[in-house]
Amino acid sequence: MADFDQIIVGEEWESTDLSLLETLDHVLNRGLVIAGEITISVADIDLIFVGLNVLVSSVETAHEVLRKREIE
Amino acid sequence: MSESVYYVYCIAESSAVAQLSADSLPAAIEEDAQLEWIVVSTLAALASRVPKITYSEEQLTEHLTDATWTAIRAMRHETVVEYVAKRVTTIPLRFATIYLERDGIEEMLTEQARDLQLIIEQLRGREEWGVNVYSDRTALLSSITSVSPVLRELVEQAEKASPGQSYLMQKKIDAMKVDEARAAVNRIIDQVEEKLKEQSDDGLRLRILKVETTEHGELKAKFAFLVKRSGFEEFRDAAERLAQEHQAAGLRLELTGPWPVYNFVTGFTG
Repeated sequence: MADFDQIIVGEEWESTDLSLLETLDHVLNRGLVIAGEITISVADIDLIFVGLNVLVSSVETAHEVLRKREIE
Repeated sequence: MSESVYYVYCIAESSAVAQLSADSLPAAIEEDAQLEWIVVSTLAALASRVPKITYSEEQLTEHLTDATWTAIRAMRHETVVEYVAKRVTTIPLRFATIYLERDGIEEMLTEQARDLQLIIEQLRGREEWGVNVYSDRTALLSSITSVSPVLRELVEQAEKASPGQSYLMQKKIDAMKVDEARAAVNRIIDQVEEKLKEQSDDGLRLRILKVETTEHGELKAKFAFLVKRSGFEEFRDAAERLAQEHQAAGLRLELTGPWPVYNFVTGFTG
């Protein structure tokens, strides 16, 4: 994620950190669905997003997740 | 590691991944396992072993309800795919694609070889860029009066009218403003899609997960575009022109990327 940019197009150029949700949306919801022996179902994905929306509604929690990711 | 299964991240060409140094690959999704390329002829799948006890169908479903558990692993998945996609043409797989045996992955690569190779050809030299369109309601509503002659005339009449008449006219003006503003936003969004499709190989309008209000206004549309690396400057310039054109109406454009091509490999189910 660190290498991705978010660019506000307009009078000035500005790069900011991508939102966690934006990244998670790409990873969880998309990508080639290949017939693995275990795959998550569409129903699971919607369920995940209910949880994630709650999770990232708190910026603190989102930072916590990222910090953990670096430590673990 | 005790009993394990295989987590698969992405697929690429074996000749291309042979150039990647194994030492510099990022960490796998779970500890105690390295990323490894499983090669069959011209194709290679990037995988790592994960504990069977965690990634069994039942356990995985359970874990996925834990948003923190899922978010951490989704970020690791992303880090791995991003690393590869920056270096070679990559087919990103959906999160949590699990094979019980290594043989299963080899079989998949063999059976799907033709389709996978076709997808790789379509993606070669291309990246995914996201475009988000935000609308600032206050700026839009105030600018709408100046661009709509009907509205401007009504405003002038209301100023001259008696207090009672003026009140009713103001109600009408407010209702019209909302409708006109909505129509204007939709027109601009269609134009953004059309213009940026001209500068890319493919474009998709994505669903909006939740109503996001940021300092740039409310998120009104989300797109993904498949853009040639060599054509990115033109793509960005087109986005820049659109942003400047609609800035006065309170519209903001945001580019995100380059992403692995998550949105341009769906629909193929093997």
